Amino acid sequence: MAGKSGREINATPQNTLKKSILSWEGILVIIFLAVLVLCRILSPNYTLNNVLREMPKYLSEIFLFFPMAYILMLGEIDISVGSIVCLSATAGCLASNAGTPFPLVILIMLLVGGLCGVVNGLIITRFPELPSMIVTLGTQIIFRGIAEIVLGNGGSVSVTDSASFRAISKRVGPFPYMFFLVVICAVVFVIVSVKMKFGRELMAIGSNRRTSLYSGIKVKATIFKAYVIMGVFSGLAALFLTAASYGANTTTGDGFEMDAIAMAVFGGIATTGGKGKMIGGIIAAFIIVCLRIGLGQINMNSQLILLIIGILLIAAVILPNISASFKAAKKKKSQA
Amino acid sequence: MEKKSLLKKITGSREASLVIVLAVLLVIVTILNPAFMTANNILEILKNNSITLILTLGMLCVLLVGGIDISIASTLAFAGMSVGLLIKYGFLSSTFLGFVIAIAIGALCGLIIGVIIGYGKVTPIIATMGGMYIFRALAYLVGNSQWAGADALGSFKNFALEKFLGLNKVIWVVIICYVIFFLLLKWTKFGRNIYAVGSNTEAAEISGINVANVKVAVYVIMGTLSGLCGALATSIYASAQPNMQDGKEMDVIAACVIGGVSMSGGRGSVPGALLGALILAVIGKALPLVGIDAIAQNTVKGVLIVAVIILNVITQRTLDRKNLERREM
Amino acid sequence: MKKRILGLVLSVAMVASLLAGCGSSSEAPAADTAAATTDTAAADTDAAATTDGGSAAGKTYAIVPKSAGNPYNEKEVEGFTKIIEANGGTVVVNYPEDATADAQITVINSLISQGVDSIAVAANDANALSAVLQDAMDAGIKVSTLDSDAVGEARMTFANQAGVTQVAQALCDAVLDISGGEGQWAIVSASSQATNQNAWIDAMKEIMAADAKYANLELVDIQYGDDEPELSTTVTQALLTNYPDLKVICAPTTVGIAAAAKVLQDAGSSCKLTGLGLPSEMAEYIGADDAHSCPYMFLWNPIELGELSAYISMALVDGTITGASGETFEAPELGVTYTITDQDGGATEVILGAPFAFTPENIEEWKVIY
Repeated sequence: MAGKSGREINATPQNTLKKSILSWEGILVIIFLAVLVLCRILSPNYTLNNVLREMPKYLSEIFLFFPMAYILMLGEIDISVGSIVCLSATAGCLASNAGTPFPLVILIMLLVGGLCGVVNGLIITRFPELPSMIVTLGTQIIFRGIAEIVLGNGGSVSVTDSASFRAISKRVGPFPYMFFLVVICAVVFVIVSVKMKFGRELMAIGSNRRTSLYSGIKVKATIFKAYVIMGVFSGLAALFLTAASYGANTTTGDGFEMDAIAMAVFGGIATTGGKGKMIGGIIAAFIIVCLRIGLGQINMNSQLILLIIGILLIAAVILPNISASFKAAKKKKSQA
Repeated sequence: MEKKSLLKKITGSREASLVIVLAVLLVIVTILNPAFMTANNILEILKNNSITLILTLGMLCVLLVGGIDISIASTLAFAGMSVGLLIKYGFLSSTFLGFVIAIAIGALCGLIIGVIIGYGKVTPIIATMGGMYIFRALAYLVGNSQWAGADALGSFKNFALEKFLGLNKVIWVVIICYVIFFLLLKWTKFGRNIYAVGSNTEAAEISGINVANVKVAVYVIMGTLSGLCGALATSIYASAQPNMQDGKEMDVIAACVIGGVSMSGGRGSVPGALLGALILAVIGKALPLVGIDAIAQNTVKGVLIVAVIILNVITQRTLDRKNLERREM
Repeated sequence: MKKRILGLVLSVAMVASLLAGCGSSSEAPAADTAAATTDTAAADTDAAATTDGGSAAGKTYAIVPKSAGNPYNEKEVEGFTKIIEANGGTVVVNYPEDATADAQITVINSLISQGVDSIAVAANDANALSAVLQDAMDAGIKVSTLDSDAVGEARMTFANQAGVTQVAQALCDAVLDISGGEGQWAIVSASSQATNQNAWIDAMKEIMAADAKYANLELVDIQYGDDEPELSTTVTQALLTNYPDLKVICAPTTVGIAAAAKVLQDAGSSCKLTGLGLPSEMAEYIGADDAHSCPYMFLWNPIELGELSAYISMALVDGTITGASGETFEAPELGVTYTITDQDGGATEVILGAPFAFTPENIEEWKVIY
């Protein structure tokens, strides 16, 4: 990925890009409103109550989206997160069933997740020759594999202390607790990405790794931190997922990584690093979630829903590109 | 003098470390289960892994231009399902035509992806992630909850059983693909263009290469091979299912990376890709043979993949250092 | 500045959606959605059911199969739909996007929002669905399972395709018969976590340990093909390599048995195969001579299983049964009056019947049906 960064810089005209990305977030807000209206028209059951009740599973994917956005901004990727969710959920359920007090169970889940992040981070920073996609592909198999071994022949565990888990999936009015946590995390992640040193370093490393290194940014430490955060948030996602299903099994979290990446990409965060805004990703995440819930309520074929999301993903990137090149051509003409 | 330069050539090549890794792997497996090293078993490995072996060639080209393609398994399923169902419902009886149609579908999918990437300037992983959802969904939609089983496939499945000059036809297809791609990448202008685009896009552009066209061509090649593999998989397993080969793209990418192909473009070779795919194939075949508990097989596979790529990096670092020292002398 | 405007727009959007939602949700809080949801469901389906005055008229019955794109699941849906529609009800078929419990939770949540009257689900994981199914029952929806069970307290009853011991007994006898009474045999299963397969395998082991007539059979290995043709092929080949004297392979899974049958048949192996498979997939391999790898195999009729599930759903909705042991209901299409029986662990089930054997004599007739 580092090899690409050199090219990236040349291809980045500062002003037009900034404008187009800003307007992309504007477009996203319009799309979001359109999706809400559309779903409301399509489904009589598309009410606030119902949407929020269906939301928890998707909200745990949004927990994964936040740190995934950081990792993509770095120009890296993590496809092991679904497996980390699985391993962390498994550890939490087993600990809970062994009589561990609930606060400690939460801590264990976050720790297991964080530990997986440490493993990813260590391998990726120690062996910069290896692309993060391949490393996390390996750990993806390993983390889920460990869960498979631990779960044994049943391949599934249910929590006996379901009351504690149920407690955290309670809600205030129609809003589940985790919704507020998502909002808080969203604010924190946005602030860190635009106001804090860590956020600026992410972008610097993502747009040009070598220059960042020469300008004194601790590249390896920053990458390492991003992966650990990713791991901890996977643990958090596992906690809420467990709360919704009272257990864990070998397919828990399967495919979450792709959903989280899709949210980021749809929000304008480039997988090549150094581009994109947190806020765009957050709006995009809610667009995808609200759309999926709406289409689910009219019993649309689930494969058709995926097809629509696939088209949206490509369209989300290709449309700004086309309009940008259109503008560039216009500019050229007027200059000539 | 000449001997030394040969030695240098061998240790200097990226493939040297891979040959060592593969040899070590083979020795260990053979010690654990002597039945592994039989001609029959080796042929089974080649046939069972023909899909990975062939797709690795396409992925090599894609990675060489600095791209990636995670839609291949979906393209494969779409092509395989289409052909399988055409045969099932009696619209098609010729095996040859079946392969042609599958390849055409694959090439078309590749063309769409290629144009989106080459001319739409969409990042490869995003374009192919979209393609992954879209083509897989199409495989389900054309399938309409039906499979094409052994009985329905008629003579189509015989292709994977027939032999030519004593060797299974599937293995011949693999060999032919490898020969073509070896020649293509080493001795044709197109092959050199692929390397040029991957190592330095701007320089390639300036030197008059149409970068977008090269990219489109590469994805069309990838799609073509995916289509071919769709037909092959349907024939080998005598079954077409919409979820076929789900997740295969990761195996293929892993094979390439194990084979020393750089994911940022410009570096990698056909022999390397072959070795990478073979190492993965041996791991896959060996796990149930050496008596590892079924429940632990995934973990062992993951650990082995990570171990192999790390080992490869370390060997490569040592070889590079050795060669540097020799040059200094 | 721009960011602040954006934030403002976003929050306005949220408030707008909130208002839009509240305006129409008739302020139904989570606790008493039962009444509200059934109302809307009735309203939704009135139009569809006005012409037919069947017992299911005006009601909506949902079925959630294990996954999309699988003919076996499709046949269950076919049987389910046929019975419900013949009785004037509305059917909602909602496939999860893949064969995981996570995906089924999403689908069931959506069905709760839609306010259907009953949900029949083939659970991908027994435990993971318990929370969402209990939510469904709290919302007044009648929940039953078919094909693959959820935990007892999460559903009212279970349409069981065949009793675990019945399946295991049939497979044990087949292994005994095909092997000629003695020798090595092995199992190629789905994944090591598959609930049904593990239950059958465990029951087979128990049956074989309990009866002396199986004493000369040796179960040498259990391999898992994860219901993928490729891996199933590899593990079957590994069995043949490791155990040259292997006499029988038993594959109690539809994907695994087809892959294993192909390996054995192509290799012309003396090892034979039995298990559970789809006739349409297995027709090529079933035959009494040495050219075929599978002398006979078993399965139940997935269409009838779907039909049974439909009768259970209707009986639960109209109050004929509550899922308690001993209750009976009519299944005219199946020609049987079914009785709900006790399961181990206090839950209840309805057993469709014994598994059906597919032999060289009847396979031609069945392969076109499913």
